[in-house]
Amino acid sequence: MSIQTPYRDKRILILDDLPEMRSSLRSQVGSLGCETIAVSSTVKDALEQLKAQPFDVILCDYYLAGGTDGQQFLEFLRSRNVIGRGVLFMMITAEKGYESVVTAAECMPDDYLLKPFTADTLKMRLERLFEKKKRLARVDQMQDAGDWAEVIAACDEIIAARDRYLVDVMRIKGNALLQAGQAEGAVGFYEQVLVMRSMPWAKLGLAHALRKKGDTVRCKETLNELIAESPRLMAAYDLLGQVHLATGDAAAAMAILDSACTVSPNSLARHRAIATAAEVNGDFSRVEQALGQVIKRTRHSPLRETSDFARLGNALTEMGEPGRAVALLEEVRTSFRDDANNPLLAAIEAVAQQKAGHPDKAAAALARATQADRSALPEAVLLAVAKACLTIGNQDAARDILKNLVQSNPESKELHGRIVAVLSEHGAPELAKQLVKESIREIIKINDDAVLRAKAGELSVAAEMLTAAAHRVPGNMQVVSNAAVALLFDVFKNGLDAAKLRTAQAFQQAVQAHAPTHPKLADMAELMTRIRAKYAKAHK
Amino acid sequence: MIDFGDLAAFTLHDVKNRLAVLASRAEAKGDRDTVHAVLEVAATLTRLLAWYKAEKGNLGIEIDARTPADLLTELTREVGPQNALTVSADLVDAPAIWFYDEALVRMVLLNALYNALRHARQRVLMAACVRTGWLEFSVRDDGPGYPAAMLGQPVAMQPLSREGTGLGLHLAGRVAALHSNAGEHGYVELGNDEGAVFRLMLPP
Repeated sequence: MSIQTPYRDKRILILDDLPEMRSSLRSQVGSLGCETIAVSSTVKDALEQLKAQPFDVILCDYYLAGGTDGQQFLEFLRSRNVIGRGVLFMMITAEKGYESVVTAAECMPDDYLLKPFTADTLKMRLERLFEKKKRLARVDQMQDAGDWAEVIAACDEIIAARDRYLVDVMRIKGNALLQAGQAEGAVGFYEQVLVMRSMPWAKLGLAHALRKKGDTVRCKETLNELIAESPRLMAAYDLLGQVHLATGDAAAAMAILDSACTVSPNSLARHRAIATAAEVNGDFSRVEQALGQVIKRTRHSPLRETSDFARLGNALTEMGEPGRAVALLEEVRTSFRDDANNPLLAAIEAVAQQKAGHPDKAAAALARATQADRSALPEAVLLAVAKACLTIGNQDAARDILKNLVQSNPESKELHGRIVAVLSEHGAPELAKQLVKESIREIIKINDDAVLRAKAGELSVAAEMLTAAAHRVPGNMQVVSNAAVALLFDVFKNGLDAAKLRTAQAFQQAVQAHAPTHPKLADMAELMTRIRAKYAKAHK
Repeated sequence: MIDFGDLAAFTLHDVKNRLAVLASRAEAKGDRDTVHAVLEVAATLTRLLAWYKAEKGNLGIEIDARTPADLLTELTREVGPQNALTVSADLVDAPAIWFYDEALVRMVLLNALYNALRHARQRVLMAACVRTGWLEFSVRDDGPGYPAAMLGQPVAMQPLSREGTGLGLHLAGRVAALHSNAGEHGYVELGNDEGAVFRLMLPP
């Protein structure tokens, strides 16, 4: 007999390491009328299933075999965008809360189910969650699109209704204000929420808003208060650690992250954060200790991160043990085939090989590190590659990379500091400061020259200059947005050119993705409208 | 040496897993009586474990915005109907949201509900409403009522004589007190009104 239920079309993935629990869950889900049910016993298999087809609901047991728990799995899924906002994640536990810690809101499951439960209870929970998804569908859609002004408006409508989703929506609105860059508005909003009731998420939001506003003192005060009141809220320790790091107090950052680790010893994110603080602090034995913990837990799991091994190799080299670093890095390179040409791993191996007295192997590693397309690499990787170039004696290549980094990030004082530190280690502190200054001056000059040309009516020349500059420093949003505007203006004045339009749109999308509140986006949108109007008429 | 408490905690965890399998098997066969019995046993273990955590000072509490009507509906459907007794919930005056730890409050109300079922003649009625700015969860039965000595707001370690071990009521008091806001703490109140009335009061 086929059962007609609202669940017929819902696709469910069950993840549990105990065979009896799996079949139990399968029969409960089956009794709701679901027709697509996939069952996994390991994280690895579950990930494969998720890649093979989309699911609506994931039912996951908290305790999983192989050194992983459901929370780590969920954090992995959300941080890698394996599942979207629409997918429901239900955590199944034997007893909730008493051991677990509270992580960041975006890494919380949609619901917890306490064992044992009946199929009827599961059905009620799913009903409610689907209802909630329906009510918040528009808000979710706008969030996925990154249209924060619309998110705020949609939230205000639901807040005015004062229904059961009031608090859920307040959370989303606070985050939307932060994302929209309205730090002042966010401070006011969170303060207003806190008057209604002291809630940990609102205090954390207030701390984020204060940080964005630049009020570090009140931000730290708020976080210290929050940690005292809610010692299990891990996100508070993380943020306080970041604020300490950003204000140059690596020792305080380490202390706070250490206390977080005492509360939550299993969190991979915490051990990684400690390693970052320890790196800044130059305490490489702590880096070794922290990353050793992470690697021990993830070595044989799909949650393994190549960068953990690379950073551990770097720490060993820094500790004066390049031999151990070489052994580790060579092992990773040969046993994990995906990592063979990983640029970060290769750059760190180059330094270790050089220091261990193997210049040939160092050169080979550096060659692997520099074969990737540089524009696609993150800052930390580029810094490591530059460091490897310096260690091996290739000064010009290092300067080239560092100059490009500065020009792509002309505003980031923190990055400039790190660049100066890398160069200073190799005996050139004065040169370092000069490099930063000159690089910035050079890119400003290209930008200003192009603007002058544009004003003089040489639109095509200006557009060409800025396009070349934007390709060289794709992370510099001022250059990229100017290039987009110049190209569009050129097209508007001088006639349709499909290639120029495509390039302009690619730049526009880059700005949209990296700086969704960039003021030039409005200019681009207006120019596009005018271009469409002009050439639509011409066609008629 | 392994601490007995920790060993017991691990064992309870394992037993609850097995109970979950039992409950699901019984449910698949349509054997509701066994499902009820298994759920009740599991609830006893949950309380024991919670009590142990509370003694160790780490009965963590996560207060969040919740919907009282959802919780009572779920309890009603999970526990009733049993034997000849009816279990129902009055949700007319329930607020859309309130702030509490759902897992802990669920444990307390479930215990009150099982207690009421043992003494009720025909029916048990649960309700949620706002009384003088506080949330009142109540569980009332139509049985003989609490003995006079137990009425009012029980002090922390008063032994509960109505069968049971007193563990449930003791824990209820603790869970209630953990719900605090702006200097006010929740509490439990026992009364008689054509039967026993258990009230869990939670601050705004």
